Amino acid sequence: MIAAELPGFPRPLLRRRELGLLLAVAGTLLLGGLSLGFTRSGSPTLAHPAGLLVYLGALAGVHVALVLAGRRVDEVLLPTVGLLGGIGLLLAERLPQDLVVQQVGPAVLGLASLQLVWLVLALVITGVVAIAVRSDRWFRLYKYTWAASGLGLLALTFVLGRDVNGTRLTLDLGPVSGQPSELLKVILVIFFAAYLAENRVLLADARVRVVGRLTVPPAPYLLPAGLMLALALGIVVIQRDLGAALLFFAVFLCLFYLATGSKVDVALGIGLFLVGFALLALVFPHVRERVATWLDPWSDPLGTGYQTIQALHAFARGGLLGTGLGAGLPAVGGQLPIPAVHTDFPLAALGEELGMAGVLAILGCYLVVVARGLRIAAAAADDVRALLCAGLALVIGVQAAIIAAGNLKLIPLTGITLPFIGYGGSSLLVNGLIVGLLLAFSDRGPVPPAEPRRARRLARAGG
Amino acid sequence: MDPLTLALWAIRLAFLAALYLFLALVVRALLRDVRAASRDPAGALGRLVVVASVSLPAAGSVFPLDAVTTIGRDLGSSVVLDDPFSSARHAILTFRGRGWYVEDLGSTNGTLVNGIPVAGAQPLGFGDEIQVGDVRMRLERGTR
Amino acid sequence: MARLTLVLVLAYGGLMLGAGYWQVLRADDLSRDPTDAGMIAAARSTVRGRILDRDGRVLATSRRDSTGEPYRVYTDASVSAPLGYASRLYGSAGLEAAYASELLGAGGDDPASRALAKFRPRGERGDDLRTSLSLTLQRLAVRLLGTDRGAVVAIDPRTGDVLAMASTPTYDASGIADPATSRAAFAAARDDPGQPLLDRAIQGRYVPGSVFKIVTAIAGLSSGAITPATTFPQQPRAESTGLLVSGYRVRDGHHPFTGTELLDFARATEVSCNIWYALAGLRTGGAGMEEAARRLGFGAPIPFDLPTARSQLTNGGGPLPGGFTDDVELANAAYGQGEVLVTPLEMALVAATVANGGEEPRPRLVTGFVSPSGAVRDVSRGTLARVLSSDDAAAITLAMTQAVEGVDGQRFTTGAQVAGVTVAGKTGTAQLGGAGEPHSWFIGFAPAEAPTIALAVIVEQGGGGAARAAPLAGDLLRAFFAARP
Repeated sequence: MIAAELPGFPRPLLRRRELGLLLAVAGTLLLGGLSLGFTRSGSPTLAHPAGLLVYLGALAGVHVALVLAGRRVDEVLLPTVGLLGGIGLLLAERLPQDLVVQQVGPAVLGLASLQLVWLVLALVITGVVAIAVRSDRWFRLYKYTWAASGLGLLALTFVLGRDVNGTRLTLDLGPVSGQPSELLKVILVIFFAAYLAENRVLLADARVRVVGRLTVPPAPYLLPAGLMLALALGIVVIQRDLGAALLFFAVFLCLFYLATGSKVDVALGIGLFLVGFALLALVFPHVRERVATWLDPWSDPLGTGYQTIQALHAFARGGLLGTGLGAGLPAVGGQLPIPAVHTDFPLAALGEELGMAGVLAILGCYLVVVARGLRIAAAAADDVRALLCAGLALVIGVQAAIIAAGNLKLIPLTGITLPFIGYGGSSLLVNGLIVGLLLAFSDRGPVPPAEPRRARRLARAGG
Repeated sequence: MDPLTLALWAIRLAFLAALYLFLALVVRALLRDVRAASRDPAGALGRLVVVASVSLPAAGSVFPLDAVTTIGRDLGSSVVLDDPFSSARHAILTFRGRGWYVEDLGSTNGTLVNGIPVAGAQPLGFGDEIQVGDVRMRLERGTR
Repeated sequence: MARLTLVLVLAYGGLMLGAGYWQVLRADDLSRDPTDAGMIAAARSTVRGRILDRDGRVLATSRRDSTGEPYRVYTDASVSAPLGYASRLYGSAGLEAAYASELLGAGGDDPASRALAKFRPRGERGDDLRTSLSLTLQRLAVRLLGTDRGAVVAIDPRTGDVLAMASTPTYDASGIADPATSRAAFAAARDDPGQPLLDRAIQGRYVPGSVFKIVTAIAGLSSGAITPATTFPQQPRAESTGLLVSGYRVRDGHHPFTGTELLDFARATEVSCNIWYALAGLRTGGAGMEEAARRLGFGAPIPFDLPTARSQLTNGGGPLPGGFTDDVELANAAYGQGEVLVTPLEMALVAATVANGGEEPRPRLVTGFVSPSGAVRDVSRGTLARVLSSDDAAAITLAMTQAVEGVDGQRFTTGAQVAGVTVAGKTGTAQLGGAGEPHSWFIGFAPAEAPTIALAVIVEQGGGGAARAAPLAGDLLRAFFAARP
């Protein structure tokens, strides 16, 4: 990048639009905190003010850091993601704090405190990455290293991982535990982007005829794609992680389409995935059970279908405007109606308390993140960067869509988290990383110097 | 209805309204950007950015590309180079279907892509560097 | 890029539609379901409203246990069938389930009141239910059924108000609701071979026997296939030899005293002539029979406060019009055998339709809600369908009156007569095949000139219609008219 070659300190650059939007976010979240506190105590008080203020402070910190860094990066992403994270924080404060308890040194932290810690750490990552990452050379040069490390991570999880709720997703490293498949998302997107950018023209133009007018790219170029399909389905089998498989594959197909523009290939890919999935459902009972629960949860209302049914009831109780923060999720015998609501069904909880109006607004925010990411991709100067940005944006957008659709019983329920809102340290950190990368790659370079007169005339003559 | 309940519901609804206010602000910002981009339709297919040059055009110049773009010293070329080592009609860039191709037009000093001489019509990726004479240019994605 | 954005926007649009489906379209039926966590939580903190009879007598009320949580107490077991129970352990049934949301103060049917209910602090007490039941009549019906299994449905034909809806054996709903005895009482009711938890009046499906002839009469008269003057020349001879239908003989012979008399509609009804009705059914045809039955509410749940079983004319799927397998089935169905199955509520509605001049009233149990603040919200009443003309209804009324009051009719309806009141009715003796006693049926209404009550009585395996059902109906009608002339 040119900017990197310029000596000297960057000049601070005001970010008025971001500041304005962040003020709107702060106002919204304070209203939310007030609503929650009012419902709790019966008088107008702010719920858990310290947590909310720390979070808003962290957002402001990232904003100031970006201003000081003087890079011309996107001004919409941070506030949008900040709002989603804030809603997640409000939800974490609203839920019983003993859903997650962790001992950190002498302190015992509950759900909201942990969520706050992860959110602040994620924002730190976002800020650091957004300011520090200046070049995508690393990503493009070492793509096979990235792919190998991703597969290694996966293998490591499989061998050393710990089973939680029947899926082997958690890896313990000393006192820290995490879900590597979250990081795998980013690594795979980097690999896809580099691989597809390199082979773009060949995949698009060197076609081999199959039947009639149906053509596919030649086998050697398709091999990595085939490996991906195998990998995605392998995750389903080995890790029982239906959501991640769907996510990887959907993002891969989207990027493939972006790179080659071939609808036929995408249709073939979808077909292959469906066939593979059907085969898996035939062979593996747990896949079949998931599908059966999805098709008719009421066939076993107190067993496998319980969670799903309770979530749908929660959506129904919310109705159009919701019950208000803190007023929903009626506890029966001290138990929340939806088990694992903070990881699997945050959207159902929000659907009850904020109503359909709230759900639509939240989905709208995700759509803004994706649209913005794709816009950054469209403006990117080269293929790798364009595909990388599109892939990162899609990871967030598709993941949110998959889990939201699962909550709403539009597709089988999967165990992936709702980005920025659902509880989960790895998920928040990785999503922070993604936002940081998107910000970094949205850099429009330094304010261009006025062009020399002659060159401009030449350029115009050329155009 | 007692005033406390009323106030509570006012706050709840205000929170929802604030969510939509934020969305409206964001969408306005997005639309403004889209409009700004569409106001400048030139270079939808791609652009050439001069990376290094000892003469004119100066480094940093940007040329929006048409589907067929010729490069050379001849003033009739799309991109006119004032470089002693380039030929009058030096190279041609063509956009075919989904990607760019570069072809050397029998120039004296040849055309390099990422430092390798071009032979025949050769696909060109965004981010690739073309060298004509002493002028190095990078092909960048358009604004579509 | 633009296309991809569009695809994602569409996908998110789908998600939003999904949210709309669950949060708007399905919001009511899910959130008002008794198994909803919100309803369960409300049931634990809110005192259910009372359930009252038509005169304001309390049928169900609530008490608090030692921990302060409310539980349900029912006036007596006779109302167990329509009211059901509300228990912390076993959920709810009957009206307690159907009107859980109103009883718990969670708002009524219309969206406006539900939206407003959200702005109210949750009440300590739900709405009272006002029902059309008469506790006196309900108790008497249960007492008269005694140890037999059976059901009684009594309806005001002018309004559709259900005056009594008894199903025996009854069960101890208070015991199920009381947390101290809940398990034992529920187990006892569940394991009772008499299946008391089954509300026979609306869920029981029975072979109707001759009471179904009123449906055949409605079909024949309204389609014009028969008139009150219709006679069948082959009928007298067939009494002794049997009626040959497609090689199968329909036999009768239970009214030998009519000899060679050529019976018309009223006489055939009076002596309950199977041959005449089989011929009438054949002349009406399967399509005509099916049409009339459907208008009366066969083949679908009846629009009612409680879930009802479907009554059926045939098993369906037969090649003949109306779904009949052959003419033999049609001939048998015409006098209530064949594959005909009916609920007691459906047969009470058949009687009420004739009593109401051919217009079928919409049955209702709940007539209104009274909020804790005393605000009353009435439930509108209505009609289901105009089933037959008032002239045809008058002809059937005449025939049914003759069946109760006529010299020959009295042989079959012994005990249904009420001094000073003209009763119209029809008995049924539903043969079940095998050696068991037949079901004893009676449907009717009174006074025949201006009916104020229509009823259906079934006593499972109670013998002939005159043995149990007809005298039981007579006792009920006598008590009814003694209380309100």
